Amino acid sequence: MPIISDKIIDLDGGQTRMEAAYGSDDGDEDLFAITAKREASIGAIFEQNYRPWDGDFGPRWVRNYAIFRHHVFGLFTSKGHRNYNPFIRLTILVIFIGAISPIAMLFFSSLFGSDPDGFIDKMWGINRSNLWGQVLGYFPRNLCYWPLLTALVVGGMISDDRRNGTSAIYFSRPVTRVDYTMMKYLSVAVVLGFVIIFSYMSYYTLAIVFKGEGWGFLIDTLPMFLAGLICSIVLVITYTSIGLALSSISQSRFFSAIAFLSIIYGTKLVALLIDLQFETSILYILSPYDCLAHFGQWMLGLELNYSHSLSLSIISIIIMNLVSIFVLISRVSSLEVTRE
Amino acid sequence: MTDISSNELVIETTDLVKMYGPHVALEELNLKLESGAIGILGPNGAGKSTFFKCILGLITTTSGHGKVLGYDIRTQGDLIRSKIGYMPEYDSLDPELTALDQVRYSGELIGMNPAHATQRAHEVLEYVGLKDQRYRKTGTFSTGMKQAAKLACALIHDPEILICDEPTNGLDQRSREFMLQTLRNTVEQGNRTVLMSGHVMDDIQEVCDSIVMIYKGKIVVHSRIEELARQVDEEIEISVWGGSSNMQDSLESRGLSVRRLGRIIRVKVESEDTISIILECAVESGVQIRRMGEYEPDLEDIFLLIMDKLGAEVKKTSDLMTSEHTGGANN
Repeated sequence: MPIISDKIIDLDGGQTRMEAAYGSDDGDEDLFAITAKREASIGAIFEQNYRPWDGDFGPRWVRNYAIFRHHVFGLFTSKGHRNYNPFIRLTILVIFIGAISPIAMLFFSSLFGSDPDGFIDKMWGINRSNLWGQVLGYFPRNLCYWPLLTALVVGGMISDDRRNGTSAIYFSRPVTRVDYTMMKYLSVAVVLGFVIIFSYMSYYTLAIVFKGEGWGFLIDTLPMFLAGLICSIVLVITYTSIGLALSSISQSRFFSAIAFLSIIYGTKLVALLIDLQFETSILYILSPYDCLAHFGQWMLGLELNYSHSLSLSIISIIIMNLVSIFVLISRVSSLEVTRE
Repeated sequence: MTDISSNELVIETTDLVKMYGPHVALEELNLKLESGAIGILGPNGAGKSTFFKCILGLITTTSGHGKVLGYDIRTQGDLIRSKIGYMPEYDSLDPELTALDQVRYSGELIGMNPAHATQRAHEVLEYVGLKDQRYRKTGTFSTGMKQAAKLACALIHDPEILICDEPTNGLDQRSREFMLQTLRNTVEQGNRTVLMSGHVMDDIQEVCDSIVMIYKGKIVVHSRIEELARQVDEEIEISVWGGSSNMQDSLESRGLSVRRLGRIIRVKVESEDTISIILECAVESGVQIRRMGEYEPDLEDIFLLIMDKLGAEVKKTSDLMTSEHTGGANN
């Protein structure tokens, strides 16, 4: 019997079962139920009652939306949703602000009125190069923003379930592996899309508003805008596929993030060195960014920077996506509910 | 022991076979399980996990049929999983989430409305004894609390069948008792079916009425525990002092079947004269009999006996009660 304040307190009948089981401190190994017998003369404060529940379950989309909400809403508030480190959230915010920074320049230029040299228009106005650059420009977007954004979002997206065993929570419920994979994919794609595609659309829309352009300008530039939009969608899909595939093959957030950055930067660097040494751009078909940039240049009618055939880049994008999705599906199918 | 209040058939399999390549994981399983508390026993690799996966509708069976709560395990896995609560053996909690959020999310994954799931999460966390801890992140929980949180996740939608994979694994004595009592209450108060696997027979015996023993993919025993105990040979247990090995030799020389564990000797009752023979042997061997009584076999004895007859090497509970298993509680 524990001794408290020089008095022997009889715990028999005095402790609550709840406290007896788990206590209210760090662990249940150093447990002392100190609820005094005098205060709980009967001793059964905690009465365990099983309460039935007869509510209805929502359909498949309700379950899927729960997965989506858990991952996407977590970026805005970790309360009740997946926890993203504040540093990750802050970095994503900075990337988003960086992505929409041309809008601010257009806004300020609209305040100044005339632009006789056409400098502002050339730098930030709507034209083929700027629309391409808003999505596929190398610096800073594809050197800093998009790869880092993807790495931060996909890190832990599936690897956490493998590490923590939380895959059992999904698959012991009526969540199929297809639903699980699709919702994880959609969650990543929506976050990337929000930053990449939304910033692109905002840029185009607000540029028209700030510069007071008319219907003629809109009709002239709309095909370019749509071409850029398609490129941004392909970029989001490709980065999501590669990132999630990497997340599915490991138990570490760090691995998937670093592996993604390594693929994006590594392939680019190797292809660049080969290009400089042997004056051939063929190795750029290994670089996801360059394949997308090549495709984007063709879509927006820009002069092509690459000497190899465009079809090789397009085939490469398709293969990268297919291989990534194959890896993703096969790894998700290996996630266990019961461990052998 | 709990009373089975109804005799509804909750699980029914007919010639169920599951093969992984050439390896037969489940071999022509014919099983009819009624509601209540049922222990699923078997050595490692016997097919318990495969059986759970089959009844959860997670894997395609090679041949045969199976129904859980009337739903076909081959085609209606989604419906089955919405009626079953599964508590995995290993960690399955996000350490960054609070217990409340984790349990609520588990409910939402079944299709519960978020508001209902939140309300229900409060209820089940109170039920499993985590009311005061519900706003703590599960990463800070002790093993007992994690097991309780996993149980809450499994119970949030009030499942008709609760599958618990080694629910007392790693728990200290007090948490273990609470967990077993919670499972008993789920059967008695909630009138739910509990399927419980484990290696510690005392735990199974404390909760379950009947057991299913699987060995090499086959069902070797399916019976109520008390009926099984009746089938085991009646024995007399004596505690002797001084020369227990001599006593054993003496008893065996008189044609009695003897099992000895140190100073404890169990003698199979062959006839009404067995007690007289034991006393005579004690006199001959010059040993003191400190205690003598009828031995009631527990589930572990039954399990070991059956596994011994099948030629399987299995560990006793005492072998399993290492510090690794109990989280240091027994040290």
